Amino acid sequence: MRCPEHAASTGNSTFEQRLKGRPPYPLETIGVAVAFSPRLEALLCEAQRLSVLFSARLLLIHVGRRTAEKEATLSEKCRLAGIAPEVQPVWQEGSIISSLLAVCKTNMVDLLVLGALQRENVFRYYLGSVARGLSRKAKCSLLLLTEPATTGSTFNEIVVNCVEHPKTIPTLNTVLYFSNMTGSKCIHIVKEVDESGLAMAMSDDVTTSEKSSFREQLRHEAEEALRQKMSSCPDQKIQVKPAVLFGRPGYAIRRYAEECHADLLVINSPDSRYGLMDRIFNHDMEYILENLPCNMMIVHSRHTSI
Amino acid sequence: MAKLSQPDLVIFLLALSVMLISSRISSEFGRRIGLPMVMGELIVGVLLGPTVFGTLFPGIYATIFPFATNSHFALALDGVFSLSVILLLFVAGLELRFSLFLRHGKTAMTTGLGSMVLPFASGFAMAWFFPQWFSAEPDNGTHLLFSLFLGTAMSISALPVIARILLDMKLLKTEIGTVIIASAVFNDVVGWIIFSFILSMVNKGHDGGSIQQTMLSIGGFALFMLIAGRFLINRTLPWIQTKLSWPGGVLAFSLSLCLLCASFTEYIRIHAILGAFIAGLAIGDSVYFREQAREIIHQFVTSFFAPLFFVSIGLKVNFIEHFDPAIVLLILLLAFAGKVIGAGVGARIGGMTASKSLAIGFGLNARGAMEMILGSLAYEAGLISHTVFVAIIVMALVTSITSAPLMRMFLDK
Repeated sequence: MRCPEHAASTGNSTFEQRLKGRPPYPLETIGVAVAFSPRLEALLCEAQRLSVLFSARLLLIHVGRRTAEKEATLSEKCRLAGIAPEVQPVWQEGSIISSLLAVCKTNMVDLLVLGALQRENVFRYYLGSVARGLSRKAKCSLLLLTEPATTGSTFNEIVVNCVEHPKTIPTLNTVLYFSNMTGSKCIHIVKEVDESGLAMAMSDDVTTSEKSSFREQLRHEAEEALRQKMSSCPDQKIQVKPAVLFGRPGYAIRRYAEECHADLLVINSPDSRYGLMDRIFNHDMEYILENLPCNMMIVHSRHTSI
Repeated sequence: MAKLSQPDLVIFLLALSVMLISSRISSEFGRRIGLPMVMGELIVGVLLGPTVFGTLFPGIYATIFPFATNSHFALALDGVFSLSVILLLFVAGLELRFSLFLRHGKTAMTTGLGSMVLPFASGFAMAWFFPQWFSAEPDNGTHLLFSLFLGTAMSISALPVIARILLDMKLLKTEIGTVIIASAVFNDVVGWIIFSFILSMVNKGHDGGSIQQTMLSIGGFALFMLIAGRFLINRTLPWIQTKLSWPGGVLAFSLSLCLLCASFTEYIRIHAILGAFIAGLAIGDSVYFREQAREIIHQFVTSFFAPLFFVSIGLKVNFIEHFDPAIVLLILLLAFAGKVIGAGVGARIGGMTASKSLAIGFGLNARGAMEMILGSLAYEAGLISHTVFVAIIVMALVTSITSAPLMRMFLDK
């Protein structure tokens, strides 16, 4: 097994080159962000289970001071989670986000597993969480686990957001790969239709029949777009349910995931950094992150944007 | 308490019903030939007002609309028109979602800025350096405010008109459509805040008060409502919508919040429209505000208050007497050049092709009802003359009608 590399050991551009063009799957290296919280053991169990399912190398990353006490705790928790003693944790000091990003890049991590709070308090919400910081900058996919369990989470019902973007096809393929490996039962491929423009356009001189005809037209276009996306994915044995949602993007899919008791919600990585303005006037991913309906995966399609 | 006498009330109700019935007939007719509703309402105002009816039948006109002879009637109607404009701005705020602008990234940012900065700068510069072209006095105390107004008038867009054009052209959910909508949102939010500043400076001109104080009041109120206000609305709305009767509870809550904010901003000497607009922004942005509630408020305002307001525009001036072709042409030229070049260059910088950029420029050029409200308020505040007011209304109509065919022309290329 290859030893983990520390962030500063090799030039950044070399790793960027190696990462460029690398598809988001198969998941060959799975990293886990270690925080010494009560959920540590459960999170390690989840990571260990995933590394076995995907035959992936496991990498434990802790950002913070390395102390004998922490080492002993981590070693004990790893033993309880069934992680082999050869898996050496990477200890890094500095800013949490940049340190995690650097270690993930140098070790070619494909999926970083994090524990996440289901609902954020106001203070954390406006300051921005680690997940937000990582979601845009990370060169790997992120798996946010809201309720990690020592027995391992199941991913029976997966909801995936099918937006009009070049990243969506790689995301769909990643979901299909993930669902095959984890034994999922159903994938809900969801297309959101934002009603804002529609309400504005039909604000005055529109009859009832015109209104329903416009809505039908939008539904038809959305269904057609879903069909096209699904046809570009390989045939699967798994059940696939397409769904068109009218509503606010981000919020509509969050509600849908809650209603269908999804185990995992999958979205593309965002194109731009989400700042304070995005949290004041929240949209898309912000609606999901402020109140996670279930576990969440943010897929970074490295060959479409780096 | 002073009351309208029985004959005053009869005339008042008669005037309202004449305005409502005739504007509805005209709008329905206009709709069948593809004209915006607001155009029918404006034409009715011109027909009923001093331009046609007042000239041809001065006796009947003076009986139905006794503005000059009956102060009670004039005051009551002024109250209705003020409430109308407050509710129109509230509805405009409900439609806007600033997040639409944020989520469309670089192209929306450059297009939004381009379609705001160039029209504003060109309008301001023209009014500042050549006030005589607009029959304005250069050494008048309102010279700066007039220049700011013309800049704002050139930079604003009419989101509902634009959205309707895009829907008809099946472009609403395309890249071009989303960029146009996002940029128009930016134009309107910034435009109305600047315009509130101008109106409050007109008020302050009478009462005294510094620019910094006005800017602080506007900024402070907007920030409070959009952060703390939205936070409270997001916590209150779900409760109101589940525990109180539907739709009475949510309608009472939204409309009273609108009037409360309007009264507060009027009290602190910023115009009431800012309070209503920001209240609309804060409520409309909430995910808990149901689409049905939005539609009900919309129907209520656009079926009753909007016709009254747009008809009243035609009642204010004689459109033939104050039609100055030179000023109309100049304002049209400024409006087209500023918006099309500004938005076009912005979209091009944002990565759009040349023809798509021009299509976006023409799309954003539609001014519609928003421009008419802006012009009407500026006229009421004494910022602009009759001739500039008429030119602004003509510009709003021409830009709205030409937007779709010009967009189509460049998209077909």
